[in-house]
Amino acid sequence: MEPLPEPSRSRSKRDYELKMGKRRKVILPPALPPETPDEEFEISDEDVEFFSENRSFTHFLAHFDKKKIDKHVTRVADKSEDEIERLYERRNRNNAPLDSRENDLQVDPVDALPIKTLDGKLQYRTTKKVGSEEGHASTDLTGEEDAEKQGTHLIRLTKADRNKKLKKEKKEAKKLKEDEDIAPNSPKEKIHSEVLKEVEEEISAEESFGAKKIKLAEIGMALLEDPEANIRSLKELLDFCKDKDPQVVKLGLMSMLAVFKDIIPSYRIRELTDKELAMPVSEAVRKTRYFEYTLLRSYKSYLQKLIELQKEAIFKLVVVRCMCTLLEAAPHFNLSEKLLAGTVRNISSSDDVIRKLCCEAIKSLFKNEGKHGGEGTVRAVRLIAQLVKKHHCQLHPDGLEVFLSLRFDEDLGKHENKAEEKNKFTKNKKGKQEPMKHLPPSEKKKSKQELIAKTRGEVYADYKAVSFAPDSEKRQRMQSDTLSAVFETYFRILKHAVDASDPRFMSETSGSHAQPLLAPCLEGLGKFSHLIDLDFMADLMSCLKQLSGFSSGTNLQSKTFNVNNSGSDRSNNGLTVSERLQCCIVAFKIMKSNLDALNVDLQDFFVQLYNLLLEYRPYRDRGEVLAEALKTMLWDGRQHDMQRAAAFIKRLATFSLSFGSSEAMAALATLKQLLQKNTKCRSLLENDAGGGSISGLVVKYQPEATDPYLSGALASVLWELSLLSKHYNPSVSQMASNILSMTNLKPTQNIVNPSLIALNPIQAFWESTVQKELLKLMNAKVPPSLKRKRRRVQDMEYYVLDPQKLRNIDSEVIGEEEAKLRFEEHFKVLRDISENERLKGELNRTLASISLYDEFKKEKREKERSVVLKSGKKKAKVLVKRSSS
Amino acid sequence: MAKKLGKKARKFARKGLQTVQKQKRKQRTFFKKKSAPRGRGLNGDAPDENEENLNHERNMSQLDQNVGGAHVVDRNIGSLLGEEDEVELEDDFSDSDGYLSEDTECPYISENENENISRDDTARGTFQEENTEIKMQIAKLKKKLDKLLAKDGEFAKFLDSRRSQLEQYDRMVSDDEEGGGEEEEEEQEEQTKLPVTQTTLDVWCWLVTEDPNSPALRNLLNLYHDASLYGVITFRNEKSAQIVSHEFYSTIIHFVLSEADGIFRTLLGVPENSNAERILMKLKSSKEWLNVGPLVKSYFKSSIKLLNQVTDTMLLVFLLFRLMSSVVFLHAFSSLGRRLIKILVRFWSTGEEQLSTSAFLLMKEVASQLSSDYFNICMKAMYRTFVARCKFVDDSNLTRIDFMKSSFLEITSLDVQQSYLVAVSSLQRLGDVVKHSSTTKKKEDLMKINNWQYINCLNLWVKFICLNYKENNLQQLFDKAVRVIFGITSLFTGPRFLPLKLKCAQMLNDLSLTSGHFIPVSSLVFECLDLTGMVTGKMDGDEEPRLKLSTLLKVPGNLLKSRRYQEECVRSSVEVLCTHFSQWSYHVSLPELSTIPLILLKRCHEKATVESVRRLIKRFIDQAEQNRDFIQMKRDGVSFSPNDQTSIDNFLLLEKSNAKSSFTQFYASMLQNSQIHNMVK
Repeated sequence: MEPLPEPSRSRSKRDYELKMGKRRKVILPPALPPETPDEEFEISDEDVEFFSENRSFTHFLAHFDKKKIDKHVTRVADKSEDEIERLYERRNRNNAPLDSRENDLQVDPVDALPIKTLDGKLQYRTTKKVGSEEGHASTDLTGEEDAEKQGTHLIRLTKADRNKKLKKEKKEAKKLKEDEDIAPNSPKEKIHSEVLKEVEEEISAEESFGAKKIKLAEIGMALLEDPEANIRSLKELLDFCKDKDPQVVKLGLMSMLAVFKDIIPSYRIRELTDKELAMPVSEAVRKTRYFEYTLLRSYKSYLQKLIELQKEAIFKLVVVRCMCTLLEAAPHFNLSEKLLAGTVRNISSSDDVIRKLCCEAIKSLFKNEGKHGGEGTVRAVRLIAQLVKKHHCQLHPDGLEVFLSLRFDEDLGKHENKAEEKNKFTKNKKGKQEPMKHLPPSEKKKSKQELIAKTRGEVYADYKAVSFAPDSEKRQRMQSDTLSAVFETYFRILKHAVDASDPRFMSETSGSHAQPLLAPCLEGLGKFSHLIDLDFMADLMSCLKQLSGFSSGTNLQSKTFNVNNSGSDRSNNGLTVSERLQCCIVAFKIMKSNLDALNVDLQDFFVQLYNLLLEYRPYRDRGEVLAEALKTMLWDGRQHDMQRAAAFIKRLATFSLSFGSSEAMAALATLKQLLQKNTKCRSLLENDAGGGSISGLVVKYQPEATDPYLSGALASVLWELSLLSKHYNPSVSQMASNILSMTNLKPTQNIVNPSLIALNPIQAFWESTVQKELLKLMNAKVPPSLKRKRRRVQDMEYYVLDPQKLRNIDSEVIGEEEAKLRFEEHFKVLRDISENERLKGELNRTLASISLYDEFKKEKREKERSVVLKSGKKKAKVLVKRSSS
Repeated sequence: MAKKLGKKARKFARKGLQTVQKQKRKQRTFFKKKSAPRGRGLNGDAPDENEENLNHERNMSQLDQNVGGAHVVDRNIGSLLGEEDEVELEDDFSDSDGYLSEDTECPYISENENENISRDDTARGTFQEENTEIKMQIAKLKKKLDKLLAKDGEFAKFLDSRRSQLEQYDRMVSDDEEGGGEEEEEEQEEQTKLPVTQTTLDVWCWLVTEDPNSPALRNLLNLYHDASLYGVITFRNEKSAQIVSHEFYSTIIHFVLSEADGIFRTLLGVPENSNAERILMKLKSSKEWLNVGPLVKSYFKSSIKLLNQVTDTMLLVFLLFRLMSSVVFLHAFSSLGRRLIKILVRFWSTGEEQLSTSAFLLMKEVASQLSSDYFNICMKAMYRTFVARCKFVDDSNLTRIDFMKSSFLEITSLDVQQSYLVAVSSLQRLGDVVKHSSTTKKKEDLMKINNWQYINCLNLWVKFICLNYKENNLQQLFDKAVRVIFGITSLFTGPRFLPLKLKCAQMLNDLSLTSGHFIPVSSLVFECLDLTGMVTGKMDGDEEPRLKLSTLLKVPGNLLKSRRYQEECVRSSVEVLCTHFSQWSYHVSLPELSTIPLILLKRCHEKATVESVRRLIKRFIDQAEQNRDFIQMKRDGVSFSPNDQTSIDNFLLLEKSNAKSSFTQFYASMLQNSQIHNMVK
């Protein structure tokens, strides 16, 4: 046990003495119990034993007890009362030992005392227990004490402070000296701790648990009330975390968490330099320094404790919760790296709760960069990148999804500039009245900065020192660090996926879902596509192409063959349809955001999409991804090639015939947009007998073609729409008729129905999902057109049932004669049964009478016995035992 | 016969068991504490609403609980019904004891003939032997007891003191579910009654046939009442001695059953085959009714008791058919009507073909002839029973559930307007379950849907919509049903739930067929077709019985890879596609409709290794392609555009009505096969 700090020790000692005094006061009134004869002891024990065995004989026992006691009364009159009391006590204790003890202690300790004082040794223990109980239970008392001793307390604290300071200084010089410092204290400490230990061992576990809980609460409250004064109680709290009882440890951890969350300052505590230490400082500063020092030290050991306990399964959840909360509350504070490391380690834990906690913590870290100035972000991202690398991209997708909460400020420089300007402006107003002209942002940024640095050097330095926020340069640097770590991770995952999808490795990786991280990775790439460095573009695109299922080496024919032979939900490269769609989406997003910089042909991705439409399965694949793909690739796109547009129009129409209403809506929305943009394709809406003036390479439509350019869709007619206008879902049918009505428009006319135009595929998809459809309520009113028809049965018309069969039933009814016979039979059965009932009743009654005879005999015997046995109670007991058995 | 005796004996044994007894007593007190809603007027609106609410709640609670494990629900529903029975009982017996005051002028012919009736005519069966055995036992025990009594004088006293305890044994045996104080009261009243002999009975019968107004009718009805209670009244009740012989018993019952209706009609002055309205008119305001009413009431009351007593199916059918002609008289006695419906619903749900059919027929009479309140009661009771009885589907009860469904539909289509309301609320409930599950996605919530109770209910209403869509405006119900079904399909993915999906697809096909709306069904079976790749060529053995998907919802894991199962899946999905295609087989856009399914089917065909599957798919592909080519050819010849709806509607109408093309025949034969397949057990 570590030596306790001086003030607390002396205080507890005082408490102890106080309690001792109290005990003396309390114990005096009850008289010592009489000496109990040995025989009596035995018999009563036996009684108790018997009683506990057969609870139902309480009355009997009580009866005998009374007699016994009566006897005693005649023999030793003055001791009778105690004797009775003792007996009852004993029995009660044996019945419910825990209950009685607790009750005794908690309800009124004074009453309980005489019982305990029976044995010489017990005397001390009980009083102690009660005392400690009182001390812990009545917070009022301690509060009063505190108030009373407030004056001395303060002084003592400062003294202790000074002591500590000295110690600290010495510690840095020599460590040995500190040991010496503590050494003289140790004997006292030891006695005290020994006593404490003894006490702790003796009181029951529950009690101590309760006491500890109260103690924890007390310390915690005190700390929260006045952290500066009570800062050293942190140490006590920390000691709770070393308890044997895991429950106590958990409570300790949680209370420390609450305390730290509250008292951690909003700045980072800096180690004092030697120079600073050497300087003489005022009382207040010293106090603050002491506070900071203690806080930091206990925080450190708390974290160590957390990391240590993390390995144990029972504490894992608590520890993770603590870490996450701390990370969220104080990402700026010292040692946050450790917290971060601990949190990131669990980011893809198999335990849902832990994973959720950690992910949330990291997300909030990303979102609230202001709290830590962005350093936390960089660190977290790097840690995650390392984690991904270490596990070879085999992590839970949640772990990578946190990247999506990252925010990159593209106009970082600009914003900073403006902010600085503003600052400067206000300062200027305050200080010198130098006219400021509006600065154009980026071009003159550097020169301006130099200028500012020159002219406002001093002010700026001051400002920088005061404001904790890092300047834009630093932030930019951090952001680029973050970005590079993020993309490193993304590329690693992509690379891994590409490697895995390589046909050569197919046999090894197939079977398990090899790419858990691919989906969030693609999502992230899509989100941050505008930030990707141009140098990577080409590689990235080829990666994506490969992943989306396009194998450049093979021609289309062999590819269709591949598709035909591949597994049902995985294509030849082992990715799901959603993932492949995502690849296409990402490619398009990248292209869109770097429109001028790159000139990559996206034709292959169109081919992919064209074929993926056939692979799509509702509910297995994510419909929203499909809708997004349609939106990014077709809806958003510029003018499409006519062939391609026609091919997609035709396929989308066909697609919507086979799939549910939400998919159909998304497809139709896209189709409509395509028709609007490509006016020439509107010829598809009309059945041109000539076969189409603008036919492409292929004259006849090939619905099964895999290449949109070779489908010859321009030669087809959108007959699908006529069927779709009969769709059960009113919005689909409306949309279809809407599209059909475009036929009559001149090529230049566009808007058909503004309300539906506004719908993009994604919105259209979500508008008509099953869940949304289900929300529609039914009108409980009977529609007026409903016939109120009561059909009379005269004509015996039937709708569902076979009337012939029913008529047959009629003829199958038994004739009157047979009915008569059967009724007779029925009667006989009934009669016999009632006869049977009667007989059985009689039988039972007779049997019961006979069995009653036994009882009768017994009772008789009992009576005789009881007469005989009235003299000796032991024999009576035997009888009871026999009768009970 | 032996079987029936066994049944009776079982029933008896159940009564005799102490635990059952105890439970019964407990229940009784429990239920009696609840105040029974009395005097529900047939014409009053308020009590009816009450009833409706009650039913609604019940339906809901049943559906609510249907997930919590089968027996929990069982108990619940059982207790619910039990409660009602109890209420009805009280309702009924409280107003009168069921006896009519008799005219003493009736001739009594006392002979000694009934003493001659020998005891040897007992039923062939077990009780005879058992009874003699018991008798012997009793004799032995009595001897022993006598000995004991002789040995110890005090024992007799002791025995006397324990008399009450002994009485319990008697009660234990004789207590009956119909029991209660009511019989004892009767006993006292009837003590003075003269004994009726066979000859007297014959004379009475003759008198009544000659003149329906004869006072003997009352006596006869009283006797009928006694007969209906025979067996319920135990040996302690001496009144049953009135009916001493089986001839007597059968004569009285038979006579009353066959003649009562005619007699009542003559008494009231309505001809035999006059329609219900006239009778009802007559019932309301006529002097005759005052006299005849109580007679009719007694007749029904006794008949209902008889229905409760008789266990022989054929007899029950006979009784039901006899009652059918006089259903219209029930109009005046609402509580009796309720009781009758309760019994009928019970018979209806037994699944014994004749009994349930005749019960249904009688119910239909009740629902159609009497006021709409009866219709409501009938329908709701049937629905409730259906919900309670359709939790499990297997080969044995498939027909029963089918029968229940279709007979329920028969009843509902009697009054679409009223059933519409029930349909709306039920579908809303079903939809809410899906909605809830789709938000929580918890396993237990999904189990609420993936069970037969839910699917059967949904199917019932889908059938209701299909049956009545054409003549009524059920668009709202249709929309809701489609949404609910799609909601279900969205919740379950994976090969294990294919049967469920196929069922949904079938329902959608039905809905689409009746409504003429286009419902995209094909995507539901794509998953099924994807499965074919998993079919291994291995046979599981010839002795394996043919799997019936119609009795499965979720496939057990061991079957998943079995060849039979996969064959069945492919077959069923082809059937679903078949129905889908055949519906639109003459529509202009059939080629496009079949494009994607055909592409997938071809893939499937390539992958399939099992010859039977390959052949099936190949045949279907061929026919569908023929269909496609046919439409395409015809389409090339027309000049209208897709937006010309009328021309499209008229497209190939002639061919459609002729339906001679091979693909049409193929579709038809395919569907027929599937029906046969599903029906053959």
